[in-house]
Amino acid sequence: MLTFAILLPFAGAALLASAPLSAGQSRLAAILVAALSLGALCVVWAGFIPGAGFQAVQEAPWIPPLGVAWRVGVDGISLPLALMSGLLFVAAIAWPMEREVNARAYYAWFLFLEGASLGLFLTLDLLIFYVFFDLSLVGMYFLIGRWGHGDAPRAALKFFLYTLAGSLLILLALIALVLSVDPLSFDMRDMIALQPVAGMDLRAGLILLGFVLGFAIKTPLFPLHTWLPPAHVDAPGPASAILAGVLLKMGTYGLVRIPMQMLRETFATYALALGVVALASILWGSIVAFAQDNIKRRIAYTSVNHMGYAVLGIAVAGSAVTGQEAARDLALNGAVIEMVAHGLITGALFLIAGSIWARTGTYEIDSYGGLAGRAPRLMGAMGLASFASLGLPGLAGFVAEVQIFVGAFAVWPWLAAIALLGLIVTAALFLGMLQRVFLGERPPALDGFADLTRTEFGVLAVLLGLVVLIGVWPAWLIDMIALGGG
Amino acid sequence: MLFALPLFPALAGLAIWAAGDGGRRRLGAMAAGAAAVTLLLAVLATAQGWTAGHDWGAGLVLRLALTPLSAAVAVTVPAVAVAVLVFAAAHEEARGLARLLGLMLVFCGAMLLAVTAADLLTLLIAWEVMGFCSWALIGHRWRDRANPASGRYAFVATRLGDLGLFLAVMATWAGAGTLEFAALGRLDGPALSLAAFGILVAAAAKAGQGPFAPWLFRAMDGPAPVSALLHAATMVAAGAYLLARLHPWLAPVPGWSGATLALGLVTALAGGAVAVMQGHAKRLLAGSTSAQLGLMFVAVGAGYPGIAVAHLVAHAAFKAPLFLAAGIAGRAAGSYDLGRMGYQRTLPWVAALTAPAALALAAVPPMGAAWTKEQIVAAASHASLWSGVGVAVAGALSAAYAARFWWLAFGPRGAEPETRPRRAEIAALGALSLGCVALGALWLAPVRATLRFAPLDAGAAEMALSLGLVGCGVLAGLTLARRGASPPPVAADWLGLPALIQHGIVAPFERAARGAARLDDTVLDAIPRGAARGARGLARGGRAVWGAMQIDRGGIDAAVWRIAEATRGLARLGGGHGEALADGLPEGTARIAGQGGADARRLQTGLSHHYYAMFVIGTALAILLLIGGLV
Repeated sequence: MLTFAILLPFAGAALLASAPLSAGQSRLAAILVAALSLGALCVVWAGFIPGAGFQAVQEAPWIPPLGVAWRVGVDGISLPLALMSGLLFVAAIAWPMEREVNARAYYAWFLFLEGASLGLFLTLDLLIFYVFFDLSLVGMYFLIGRWGHGDAPRAALKFFLYTLAGSLLILLALIALVLSVDPLSFDMRDMIALQPVAGMDLRAGLILLGFVLGFAIKTPLFPLHTWLPPAHVDAPGPASAILAGVLLKMGTYGLVRIPMQMLRETFATYALALGVVALASILWGSIVAFAQDNIKRRIAYTSVNHMGYAVLGIAVAGSAVTGQEAARDLALNGAVIEMVAHGLITGALFLIAGSIWARTGTYEIDSYGGLAGRAPRLMGAMGLASFASLGLPGLAGFVAEVQIFVGAFAVWPWLAAIALLGLIVTAALFLGMLQRVFLGERPPALDGFADLTRTEFGVLAVLLGLVVLIGVWPAWLIDMIALGGG
Repeated sequence: MLFALPLFPALAGLAIWAAGDGGRRRLGAMAAGAAAVTLLLAVLATAQGWTAGHDWGAGLVLRLALTPLSAAVAVTVPAVAVAVLVFAAAHEEARGLARLLGLMLVFCGAMLLAVTAADLLTLLIAWEVMGFCSWALIGHRWRDRANPASGRYAFVATRLGDLGLFLAVMATWAGAGTLEFAALGRLDGPALSLAAFGILVAAAAKAGQGPFAPWLFRAMDGPAPVSALLHAATMVAAGAYLLARLHPWLAPVPGWSGATLALGLVTALAGGAVAVMQGHAKRLLAGSTSAQLGLMFVAVGAGYPGIAVAHLVAHAAFKAPLFLAAGIAGRAAGSYDLGRMGYQRTLPWVAALTAPAALALAAVPPMGAAWTKEQIVAAASHASLWSGVGVAVAGALSAAYAARFWWLAFGPRGAEPETRPRRAEIAALGALSLGCVALGALWLAPVRATLRFAPLDAGAAEMALSLGLVGCGVLAGLTLARRGASPPPVAADWLGLPALIQHGIVAPFERAARGAARLDDTVLDAIPRGAARGARGLARGGRAVWGAMQIDRGGIDAAVWRIAEATRGLARLGGGHGEALADGLPEGTARIAGQGGADARRLQTGLSHHYYAMFVIGTALAILLLIGGLV
């Protein structure tokens, strides 16, 4: 079933690339394929037993001498991420195109990217993980470069090269890691069970460094985040939503799956350092976001802040502070929920930013004002997403952040206490943006501004509905993750 | 079951908001009806001792319970809300009325959640949702940019205090492993101190104490009924309530009681001074709110949470009608400038109905608020003589500003109102006034016997001194008022505190953020740019090497040819189906690849050297790392 969920979008992409379909037909076909893929994931979810390790496993040998095989399976960490990604892809594909050129190729690339993304979250083989990691760059590169606006080719290239450098580091670390097991194996489960480099100081440290740097670029963490804002600003809205919602999660998911789980001992040694970097991301991301006058840049920098929370949770979870197992589980819980919540919330925010651009052609906050009167539904969606992003209780972001903070405090009190300051800055920056774009006097140029269309509203309603659901009733998601006592 | 109490008004409010603007009467009836049902629920819940628990996840449980203290507040909130909602439906602009009334109900729901909360997580949730409601309600008239800006100020200021509650949650969980209030009792050492002072900061922020006072001034940009609700029943009152509720666990913390008492007393005196100087009707009342909440803090700090809650209820009963009256006077004058009011002759009913509330604010017997204030004087005297004197002086100040407010707004100056209040507005004002008078029953011994705490016996001398000061205050206030509302001194704006915050915190932060953003664009982005430049250099070097290798072309060429030959041999082997397959595969692939290639071409022109550069760097790094890693 998981294999089906991964291969279906690839097949869909190939179909769209070769079959002569019209723009409307391509869109419908792409929505159908993405929805089927999501449906397959839901089937797996229906049979999923929380807390029982990897499930729905499928295995087919591929390169037996190297121990490479097509292995897929899910646990409580990858399933929520895969489901969220599947949903976000349906949303992004259903969202109207910004520049309606070459629709067939646009949807084909989206499906290609979906296949790569789902593959990354679902595979249990390190080599295949790496392949999907790189394929996702390719898909996003074309989406930004061809359907973006402004200086899109340049932004796309920067994104590609910067993250490619990260993925090369991952490749090196991966080879070094795999070479240390005998017989050769790329099976993630083996790696988690064997802890291959435990006790090898220098070598384990270098491998860890390679992975962490690579994933830190992708996440992105301070100070390796400067590829993110231009990529977002010039990307079309739906691609931005996927970039923030799905691709950034590859970095944090990778951190959990590989360094934290496979290099447990080494990771614990350096967990505090990672926590400090996460803290820097939390503060730097929010402070720099505060000073941005461009809607998309502002949201993009808040991603650095939010991913900082997630990495803080991961660092806490991976620290081997004894006697704090419950706190570490809580923090990891929070980190996984942060990933899901950030995907839904920031995905929605970028879709909204895209819809604003589609109507006026600018992201400059100062050219707006008073839109609430013309576009109450847009205001409602943006308000809800903004408050969710700044961590209002009753919405998904709070559920994640409170667990991360509480867990982190038990392990590193000072770090957690300082990280709280991020909450203030994000509150100020989101409310400032809402106020400047939607409230106050409306410039006459915006008199013809149209509210959300039915499609846009429907898509946002689904995403934000989930944000509210997780916020008021988080138990189902926490149970799915099922860590520790849960 | 107890969840019904906060959820009913919240859901009803959302439904009213979603249903959209209807007629004034219909909306008012629905909103006030919802508040009345909530009141009924509160009484029922108190009588039957409802509790509730909900498994939130990750081992955390949301718990609700009512204690005698919380029951008193839980009944006060919807009771005040009914009158305020009736008033709002009659008083406010029709545009956006459904949103206003709906959000006010949500606000009540959040407050009731805070009041019934029996664990810190539930409290935190309610606390922050209240912050959201205040943001939305203060900025209700959003077309004027100043209003949402004030809402944002209020939200950020109170959220700064919320961080204290976050700290308390974190410290409690780390120390006790659960979050119910009783867990506070199992903490000790720094964790307990952190939790206790965190809660104090959170309470001070909501209650507009000390450095958090200015947000209450900014909150005055909201509509008058919102101010009435915010100051009397929700939000601000929550600060004092929280300290009273958690007092048993927090009082043993060294320094906590003293800090609470000192913070309250300083705010009571400073707020009183500010209110005496203010020339803006609503800001005068806002200053008085800080001062009155300060008195409640004093009571908690002195060790008498019951007295604090009694004063909270009395305060709700007089502050709500005062704000409604200020709303009527402000509408009549076209602004909240006290110098343009004076409606005793032209709006006699309003003036008469406001008088009991003003007397209660002044703490003149036999108003109930006078009794609770005297109790606070007695409580403070128990703590120390000087704090008793301080509270009595704060009482004199409140008598002065109360007298000044009433005289300027509703004195016999004979101003002509621009508009007259609707009947429903006067009815709501009257109902609250009546409640205010009814609380005078607290002076009667049999009524007092029903209270859940033992009242203090104030000494006769103490009482005489305190009431004498109140008398002096009233006279001073009237004298000041007769002199007219001269333009207020600069100090009336919270003794310059807002300016200090603006120039000491907000502006430097904004500058720092801009600086950080510039740094981000220049220095941090220099890392990849530097790498790219270095790579380009390397690539140039690499090209030279490659050129040199070209000289030895023959060998390479031969190898290429041999591979080609071998391929051709392989191709000859495959016939029939193999050929068809072999043709189909590349052709299909080619079509897909062609698409990709076409896309790539559009992007790639002239930039290919980047690729080579990255490739060279990557290879070099790979080799280095492998060598290092395999050692």
